[in-house]
Amino acid sequence: MEPDLVRRQGALDRGLSWLIRGQRPSASHILLAPATLWLLAFLILPVASLLSLGFTHRGPYGAFEWVFTWDNFRRALDLKYLPILIRTVCYSGATTALCLVLGYPLAYFLSFQAGKRRDLYLALLMIPFWTSWLVAIYSWIIILGREGLLNGLLRALGLPPIAFLGTSFSVILGLVYFYLPFMVLPLYASLEKIPRSYVEAAHDLGAGNVEAFLKVTLPLSLPGVLAGCILTFIPCMGDFLCADFLGSPRTYLVGNLIQNQFLMAQDWQFGSALTSLLLVFLITGLYARHRFEEQGLFEESE
Amino acid sequence: MAEPRVSRRDFLRLGLLLPAAGPLLSTLAACAKKPAERVVNFFNWSSYISKEALPGFTAATGVKVNYDVFADEEEMFAKLRSGAMGYDVIVATDYLLPRLRGSNLIAPIPMEDLKNLSNLDPKFLHTPYDPEQRFSVPYLWGTTGIGFNKKLVAKAPTSWWDLWDERYKGRICMLDSPRECIGTALLLKGQPETTTDEKDFEAAKELLLKQKPLVKQYTSATYVDALVAGEAALAMAYSGDVLQAVKENPHLDYALPKEGGYMWVDCMCVLRGAPHLADSVALIDYLLRPDVAAGICNAVHYASPNAAAQPRIDPAVLKDKRVYPPAAVVKNLRYHTPPDPEAYVLWNQTWSDVKAL
Repeated sequence: MEPDLVRRQGALDRGLSWLIRGQRPSASHILLAPATLWLLAFLILPVASLLSLGFTHRGPYGAFEWVFTWDNFRRALDLKYLPILIRTVCYSGATTALCLVLGYPLAYFLSFQAGKRRDLYLALLMIPFWTSWLVAIYSWIIILGREGLLNGLLRALGLPPIAFLGTSFSVILGLVYFYLPFMVLPLYASLEKIPRSYVEAAHDLGAGNVEAFLKVTLPLSLPGVLAGCILTFIPCMGDFLCADFLGSPRTYLVGNLIQNQFLMAQDWQFGSALTSLLLVFLITGLYARHRFEEQGLFEESE
Repeated sequence: MAEPRVSRRDFLRLGLLLPAAGPLLSTLAACAKKPAERVVNFFNWSSYISKEALPGFTAATGVKVNYDVFADEEEMFAKLRSGAMGYDVIVATDYLLPRLRGSNLIAPIPMEDLKNLSNLDPKFLHTPYDPEQRFSVPYLWGTTGIGFNKKLVAKAPTSWWDLWDERYKGRICMLDSPRECIGTALLLKGQPETTTDEKDFEAAKELLLKQKPLVKQYTSATYVDALVAGEAALAMAYSGDVLQAVKENPHLDYALPKEGGYMWVDCMCVLRGAPHLADSVALIDYLLRPDVAAGICNAVHYASPNAAAQPRIDPAVLKDKRVYPPAAVVKNLRYHTPPDPEAYVLWNQTWSDVKAL
């Protein structure tokens, strides 16, 4: 991570040096230009405008009025929204944990056991991910509904139907379904990088399968575990579709609250403030992880 | 059938695009269009037109109609306000007109070019929501009441309080609409919709929060699916939505509560800066033709304000008290009062809280 960051900073420096010091453009500037412009136009500017909107006053019927105010943030920090944040963190945490439990064996299998069929299995993993989210969500509604396939099966077995839809279960199931590839792919990449000779060496030195896994494979795959967890947890925090379609009014998440401000309440200013706070929350989390890493928590894996 | 209400794409588009990028994009889109082809971009409620109407217009005039639908008026408003859509004609409820005008989104319609305007029942013209009859042309009207599945309820609902009945816990759907839900809560609390007293909104919120544990979903788009599939027993509903779905599930029915419900008139409006004004007016005029208006009424089971169309409407629809409520019932119905900008904030924040808490 660290040298990578340094390298990136160096690249940025070189990229700007052309502007700042009046140097002649070199190949690196030309290579960096499209990505820089893209990021500037489609990431930096929109995010900056969104963040600044949170500090402005709401005009009649939600019109933009560029008058400074703290009001939106004061409202967003109201304790009444705390249960929603806690619920969102719990759902995202549960989703991440479930994805890890399901995804690690899967990634391990793909990397160590799948052999010639690996590409086929990877494609099978990705196919659901390529279908439209709405189609997938409606499929789940058909499966989980009161008169759905699953309850039809229960009824055939003489069991009473269960209300699967509109529960924490159905929302987390939807989240796991959508975000599993985000967990499996980084895990697979990091397991794939482990030199097989290390595992063989462990065996040569007398380690059994379990010991070799615990002492060699698992520690070496930890960066992948971490990357997978982050890639799963963060989009979960902003998801609103699963809660909207598979959940009930009692599974309302931060994403729903934000979506409501933009589409229903015409209160983009408040929505921006909520979005900014969610960003701050996530960036703080990422920074904390970075500090832990610096302190050598994952030293053995480097 | 109702359309899926939200797409991730919509949200990203709304959330991440600079407001200023909207006009730019629509200009680009306009440039990309072939100048020879005549089109009108029409934005309407879902399940709100007959199959024949638009092809008939194209056959009669050679103008193609790009037809898009919404299931949620607030979302439609958000889209129009973000400015990137390039629509010509929209259908909006009476209640939304002051806000559309206040936000400078709609333009006056050249009424003198509408040869079929005289087909309309005069009581739908020069109304409180458009006293000068400059901005809107009535399209259909209907009511907000209770849709239900006869097989799943002990007895047909007669009161709004039936939506608070503990027996139907988890099988009640409510419209995702501040106007309908808070409006009804205020009505049940005996408060006028014109109130700006925060205490009244607090009381309405309490009432809706008391109901919330029973609510399966707040949705304007999927409640009909839920009724058809038997997932929901009762739903706050728009009249025609339920009556159209009877074809799919004969156990569905619709009732107007004894406390009185809400009625509304959906109007055709032309957007400010509409790129195809003349053809837009032609489309509106075509939809006012008696045969076309009657065809639409027969298909969607919402009432038509078109008096000249009356003889051509299917007698079964015309006599259906759920489509055309008798005068005694209409007396008990009311229009929603459009809130001014300050009250509008109260309505929206109350609704946001009901959903969030």
